[in-house]
Amino acid sequence: MKRSRFKLATHAAYVSAFLTLIAASRVWADPPTTWGRPFDASLDGNKIDWLFKFTTIAIGILFVIMAAILIWATVMQRDTGGRKAQYEHGIGRKHLLLTALVSSIIFFGVDGTLLYSSFVDLTETFWKWPTAKDHPVEVEVYAQQWVWNFRLAGPDGKFNTPDDVVTINDLHLPVNTPVFVKIKSKDVIHSFYLPNMRIKQDAFPGSITQLWFEPTKPGQYVVGCAQHCGVSHYKMHGTMTVESQQEYERWLHDESTAAKRRFDQADSDAHWGWDWEI
Amino acid sequence: MESHEHDQDHDEQHIHPEPTSFIRKYIFSMDHKVIAKQFIWLGLSFLFLGGTMAMMIRWQLANPGVPFPIIGKWVFAGSNGIVSPAAYTSLFTMHGTIMIFFAITPIMIGGYGNFCIPLMIGARDMVFPTLNMLSFWAQFTSSCVLVASFFVPMGAAAAGWTSYATLSTQLGTPGWGQTMWVIAIFLAGMSTIMGAVNYITTVIRLRAPGMTWFKMPLTVWGLWLTAILNALFVPVLGSAAILLFLDRTFGTHFFLAGAMVKGGGDPLLYQHLFWIFGHPEVYILILPAWGIISDILSFFARKPAYSYKVTALAMVAICVLSAVVYGHHMFVTSMSPLLGESFMVLTMIISVPACVLFLNWLHTIWQGRLRLTAPMLFSLGLVFVFGLGGLTGIYLADIPTDLYLHDTYFVVGHFHLTMAAAVFLGAFASIYFWFPKMFGRQFNHTWAKVHFWLSFIPINMVFCGMLVIGNAGMQRRLYNPNEYELFRHLHPLNVFISYSAFALYFGQIPFIINFFYSVFFGKKAEQNPWEVTTLEWTHASSPPVHHNYDVIPTVLNGPHEFSNPLVTDKDWLGQCEPLPSAAVVAEKKPAG
Repeated sequence: MKRSRFKLATHAAYVSAFLTLIAASRVWADPPTTWGRPFDASLDGNKIDWLFKFTTIAIGILFVIMAAILIWATVMQRDTGGRKAQYEHGIGRKHLLLTALVSSIIFFGVDGTLLYSSFVDLTETFWKWPTAKDHPVEVEVYAQQWVWNFRLAGPDGKFNTPDDVVTINDLHLPVNTPVFVKIKSKDVIHSFYLPNMRIKQDAFPGSITQLWFEPTKPGQYVVGCAQHCGVSHYKMHGTMTVESQQEYERWLHDESTAAKRRFDQADSDAHWGWDWEI
Repeated sequence: MESHEHDQDHDEQHIHPEPTSFIRKYIFSMDHKVIAKQFIWLGLSFLFLGGTMAMMIRWQLANPGVPFPIIGKWVFAGSNGIVSPAAYTSLFTMHGTIMIFFAITPIMIGGYGNFCIPLMIGARDMVFPTLNMLSFWAQFTSSCVLVASFFVPMGAAAAGWTSYATLSTQLGTPGWGQTMWVIAIFLAGMSTIMGAVNYITTVIRLRAPGMTWFKMPLTVWGLWLTAILNALFVPVLGSAAILLFLDRTFGTHFFLAGAMVKGGGDPLLYQHLFWIFGHPEVYILILPAWGIISDILSFFARKPAYSYKVTALAMVAICVLSAVVYGHHMFVTSMSPLLGESFMVLTMIISVPACVLFLNWLHTIWQGRLRLTAPMLFSLGLVFVFGLGGLTGIYLADIPTDLYLHDTYFVVGHFHLTMAAAVFLGAFASIYFWFPKMFGRQFNHTWAKVHFWLSFIPINMVFCGMLVIGNAGMQRRLYNPNEYELFRHLHPLNVFISYSAFALYFGQIPFIINFFYSVFFGKKAEQNPWEVTTLEWTHASSPPVHHNYDVIPTVLNGPHEFSNPLVTDKDWLGQCEPLPSAAVVAEKKPAG
């Protein structure tokens, strides 16, 4: 009786594994190019990728140890009658020391390394804002349901003037130049998300947030919205075109000339830009 | 507190006669055991509803634009059975809300909190039986409001379960649905607070003689700590709900700002209030399960819980830390660098008590004699999925990696592993473990094990798939991720997750059949079928009488006296059983 029950449970395990294998086969039928993080096209994305790698290795080791103990105990130490379990409350000094030791090794080894690297990365890179010396490209982002508005200052270097280049879902940037982005939102919270730059930043109505990055590889990348912003949240995405300095300047010049021609002082909704200096 | 002082401190509990009318006995009951069942029935119904909604979400992600099979033509009548974008936003909003506030909370806290606390500490009932009844009916009223919100014009709430302002104000989600969501959350919060006050006081005042703090089962520790967190932090959610309600109905501007409204409020204020509650909430949901499986692992490994006191204290430490880490939900809101880094450090510190818990669980089963009953399998499964979920949390605690992962499916995979998969398995461990005591009948053990494997394998497939797809960059809450060219190649992975989810959903059928069949027709259960040590098994009948114990037992031992070599006739010693007298003498000698 007991034997057949065990068998039935084993069969259930097989059936369950089989069902999930069917699900898996649907994936293998159409093998993907890559399921990893998208191509990193930024100067500093590799720092984030390094942290990913370190964390994956560290928790991978911990997980394998944990799973091995769990599976070993479950399979090998089943109650088959006969002798009793070990009578051990684990309150002796050596037990407590062992727990303390293992926890500290994990905390200082894994969390400590991550904390140190993150502090360095944040203070020296991600939260070290570009200064005038770095000559960053300055961009204003204005999020609204469900588009990204971008504003570049134009030749005069000042925002909210007639020569500003204002685009919708279409951001152009020069390669190998830091980009300093200031973000606000018109209606609800959005999140400015650049997967290829490994970075994102929320956009709030009523306040201004910022981020910076430096694209290093020309190409077209996606600008997504990461924060649920209503029914058409999934449609809120644009393109970021990273091009050579000359191409970028030619584009900026053409667009700026056209913008001046189109400028309408009376259209107050279009003047959402704001003046700022680094 | 020493056990001999405890007698004076123990509140006198009178035996009240059992009510005889149907209404007082089963509907407006003040008996904690009946209220526990009411909460569990309510919670299981909502678990089914929330699970069905998850299937609709997964259907849309696997087969965008294909009508939902069978029930689609009624549920999504306006769009020919296709899940529309508006319906989709409502689905993920209500799925989250239902699972957290209307499934897990009623089952684990309302249900097992009510059932276990008085029985396990040797009390006749909760200290405030009327409040206990009100707690259930507040939850029931809240459930009615929530269900009704599906049928109002413009549909149910759609701003996400977090309902961030300003999307959750009239600006983003006009209509009654979102307002009713706020009311339902407030009422559910009231219910939770009433329960919490009751649990805290009951544990402090009504422990049986000899039941000192460190003789309490870890189940009671988990539930008691949860109650404390609830009493402290649910009011914060209540305040956020009130302000949101005022913004929605009375035109105040607490959270409104920006060009659309010219308001002077701050949408970030909502996030602070929400997460001051929201982070403790994830521990509120998991702590009962932690406590329960800490006991179950020891019970079925036939071995004392390793470092019992340390496990209890680690849970206390996690409770304290849970109050000061909420900022890690807001790393990309542009908070001050100093604040962000402080939250990062504090979050990482939680890994210390969490690591201690894991070490103690693993040590508990190591060198044990494991009885792989259904509750034990579910508990071992919990350790596995929580390990996976907890470890993946490290990526999110770390600000640079969170800059990339925030609001992606990685987050969804992580929190589902920790507070959905783990609590799900913990809930079934509890259901199977206390089933004989609760209903006085035995369930079918074989089908319970079948149910375990049909749950455990797909649940890992679903949420690990989400980790992978999130790592690839896909955001959460996208109606159709194929809108992004970048994610189109991930579609097979989405299909895989969805089909695994369907397998998980249909894997619950053995449970439903087994549960209903056994409640009515199961074999009569013995008093202590599991051969364990705690009071409800050793001193109360299955099911317990109305006043639980004819005589309140006096507790002598801790809850995990297994395989004591001094006990020769069996491998366990009940909490009220003295050690064989010769052995006591032998043990006392060296001390004296």
